Amino acid sequence: MIALSDYLILSAIVFCIGLAGIFINRTNIIMLLMCVELILAAVNTNFIAFSYYGNDVAGQIFVFFILTVAAAEVAIGLAILTLMYRNRGSIDVDVTNSLKG
Amino acid sequence: MENTYLLLALAPLIGSIIVGLAGNRLGRTLSHSITILGVLVSTVLALYVFNHHVLEGGDVFNQNLYTWMQIGGLNISVGFLVDNLTSVMLVIVSFVSLMVHIYTIGYMQDDDGYTKFFSYISLFTFAMFMLVMSNNFMQLFFGWEAVGLVSYLLIGFWHGKESAVEANLKAFLVNRVGDFGFLLGIALLLAFFGTLDYAETFALADEVNGKTIFGDFSVITMICLLLFVGAMGKSAQVPLHVWLPGSMEGPTPISALIHAATMVTAGIFMVSRMSPIFELSDAALTVVMVIGAITALFMGLLGIVQNDIKRVVAYSTLSQLGYMTVALGVSAYSVAIFHLMTHAFFKALLFLAAGSVIVAMHHEQDIRKMGNLRKKMPITYVTSLIGTLALIGFPGFSGFFSKDMIIEAVHFSNLPFADWVYFAVVAGVFITAFYSLRMFFLVFHGESRVDHHTEEHLHETAPSITVPLIMLAIPSAVIGCFTIEPMLFTGWLDNAITIDSVAHGSVVSLKEHFHSAMGLITHSVMTLPFWMMVGGVGAAWVFSLYRTQWADAIQKRFQRTNYVLESLYGFDRFNEIVFVRGSRKLGDLLWRISDMAIIDQFVVNGCARFARFVGSVIRPVQTGYLYHYAFFMIIGLMLVLTWVLVTGDNPLIQLGS
Amino acid sequence: MEFTAILFYLFGFCFVASATLMVTSRNTMKAAMLLILSFFSAASIWLLLEAEFLAITLILVYVGAVMVLFLFVIKMLNVDQSTLRAKFTKYLPLGVAVAAIVIGQMVLVLNAGQFGLDAVAEPARHAPDYSNITELANLLYTAYVYPFELAAVLLLIAIIAAITLVHRTGSRSKKQNISEQVNVQAKDRMRIVSIPSGKNGEKK
Repeated sequence: MIALSDYLILSAIVFCIGLAGIFINRTNIIMLLMCVELILAAVNTNFIAFSYYGNDVAGQIFVFFILTVAAAEVAIGLAILTLMYRNRGSIDVDVTNSLKG
Repeated sequence: MENTYLLLALAPLIGSIIVGLAGNRLGRTLSHSITILGVLVSTVLALYVFNHHVLEGGDVFNQNLYTWMQIGGLNISVGFLVDNLTSVMLVIVSFVSLMVHIYTIGYMQDDDGYTKFFSYISLFTFAMFMLVMSNNFMQLFFGWEAVGLVSYLLIGFWHGKESAVEANLKAFLVNRVGDFGFLLGIALLLAFFGTLDYAETFALADEVNGKTIFGDFSVITMICLLLFVGAMGKSAQVPLHVWLPGSMEGPTPISALIHAATMVTAGIFMVSRMSPIFELSDAALTVVMVIGAITALFMGLLGIVQNDIKRVVAYSTLSQLGYMTVALGVSAYSVAIFHLMTHAFFKALLFLAAGSVIVAMHHEQDIRKMGNLRKKMPITYVTSLIGTLALIGFPGFSGFFSKDMIIEAVHFSNLPFADWVYFAVVAGVFITAFYSLRMFFLVFHGESRVDHHTEEHLHETAPSITVPLIMLAIPSAVIGCFTIEPMLFTGWLDNAITIDSVAHGSVVSLKEHFHSAMGLITHSVMTLPFWMMVGGVGAAWVFSLYRTQWADAIQKRFQRTNYVLESLYGFDRFNEIVFVRGSRKLGDLLWRISDMAIIDQFVVNGCARFARFVGSVIRPVQTGYLYHYAFFMIIGLMLVLTWVLVTGDNPLIQLGS
Repeated sequence: MEFTAILFYLFGFCFVASATLMVTSRNTMKAAMLLILSFFSAASIWLLLEAEFLAITLILVYVGAVMVLFLFVIKMLNVDQSTLRAKFTKYLPLGVAVAAIVIGQMVLVLNAGQFGLDAVAEPARHAPDYSNITELANLLYTAYVYPFELAAVLLLIAIIAAITLVHRTGSRSKKQNISEQVNVQAKDRMRIVSIPSGKNGEKK
């Protein structure tokens, strides 16, 4: 029998893998975006698990909206990436420190 | 009667305002006529008031005329307290002022500021009236400050002359020191008595008597000492005397009016007025007496070595003010007022006579350049003689009675240091006689050392100058013997002055020993002061006329003493080094350290530098690298998680067990 | 062991493994592919949890649209692989440490004591004619219609934003303005100058 805690721990593990991915792949913006997608996927799993075990469909509605927003966010993020590449010629984050204080 | 008092006070003010604003347009004759008319009205009314209160025994008038302000329970108003003491002062002030106004017509003839001068001296007269007639401390202080202000304006009247400007600044500043003490005294009085009205204060005096401040210090003593500091400033007692000789830079009429007869006596008047309070404090009275004695003796000594005719008279004034203060100290308030009155007349006379001499000598003031003027200026000579005899205390003249009474009162006093004070005032008689006659002989007798050119033009001065001299000479001569009995002993001033007859019984003893005015005169040859005076006269004759070379020889022999005297005991130098340079250094120090270093550098710039420093520490956090921001977020999240798990009611992570 | 348990462990393992491989991969292309695999595993898990509609939506939208977008961009930008590879190991220990700490904390919270079968009972499986879509729609178009509309607006804004961001302005694009071309005058195209002639055609 699979308990709720199993699903939750699973999504926690994937969430933390995504976090570690952000730490590891900090130079590659595309990898960063993909790790964020991974984190979102873990969170969605969490919601669905609660929705199932709590007999409340509202969790799935929430996941619906998270998917929507995530899609929009990826679109805009990639547009910004494209612009950055167009203006600088590379996507190396080490040279994009013009926000430096 | 209320209108009489108001008119008396306001007449000179109106004259002053009219002439002050429109003097140039009115012209000289009209200006001086208006102001003299104003003062004449005041004089006549003052005599009327005197008659009403003193001779006919009228009631004391004590009323508030106008409420100036009401702060909580404190009522400060403009009010008049007219009793016998006030009446006497009113007569003195108005009469001397009238004489000075008439005198100014001749003296300031060729001066451009003619009308301005008249406006000022009328204004002064008004201020003095307000001071004398006031019935509360606030109005007293107003009058006090106003006379100080007009004195400042008049000393620096010739404001093109640098020495005059320095002198008037010095006068104002030293007076300020005195006024500061005065104000502290008034404040303390307000704190403990709760009122500024004279009548209410005197009624509460016994109640406040036992209270102390700062431990064991009696409040009454403190108040008296502080009020006396004000009197020291105004009446030029040591060490706040340094301004009076400098005030001679002003025209002679004001030296006569302000610095001989009226303003400097304000301090004496104030202490007399405060007699109910002063009587409660032996310590304060002792201080008053000792300071008076120091002033009387040491300022007299300085008069010996002065060569400017006005300075001799100035130091004489200082010395006589010391005498008045001594009289106050031994609780002989009426004697002090008596001497104030006689001194006002003969000192004003002496100043005006000196002015007459100066005008005749075309503004030459050094007595070493005068001599044998008696033939050319007979009226001035005779009036000067009368004034000098009054000053030295020649039997029969007014000064004799007042000075002798002071010396006797000191003799009967049982305050500490009274013996030394007695020695000082008796020695002062010798010194007074010496310097007065020295000046007299050097100016009017002996060989003429006058510059040849001036000698040709030498003649008696105009009637506008000599008539006031004569009019002042009369009271200098006779007023003493007529008023001594009523003023001191039959209670002219009784309703104004309170004396604790048991503890300070000088006046009571005086009364016991007094027989009559004539009796004093005949008795005088047996008293020590008389022979001191004679000795002084003789010494002056020897050194000024008989063997003048002995004077020079002594001066060379005692060079060090001479130096001390000529440098005026170093008071001016002390003030300059300690206070003037000290204040400047303090200001410099405060500027450099407090202003520049602390406020500018430390606080203002320091705030900016601190903000910049904090910024520079925090700024590196903004690295500009995207992943650093992400890291911070994640690490922050982890820390928040940890914190949530550790704290709270059921912490899931237990630190320790 | 029940069949669903086996499936859960299988897909769970797949999810975790593909995720791990994705974050440690050096090749961006490979990483994208592995992410697709992890999405598939996630969709399977959601199916186990009777969220059929969302599982399919995940595949359609995420993999079908978002990941394709990713692949477009990856191919379009020439990502320099060498420099990226060099900085890989610098933060590896820190990353692993942070991840481990967070996992530990989460496990403390989400453990079986709080959320296990004793605390939360397993619900009964729905009947075969259970329609997940109808359930979602019943809720979405009644109680949550307002957020639904807002989400639509949000997507519209995203479209506009994305287009505006990468839109090249007139100077870089070679669009024709027909009316301008037709109305051109001779003086816009030609200018006659006078040049003094020198010997042998030299300029002075």
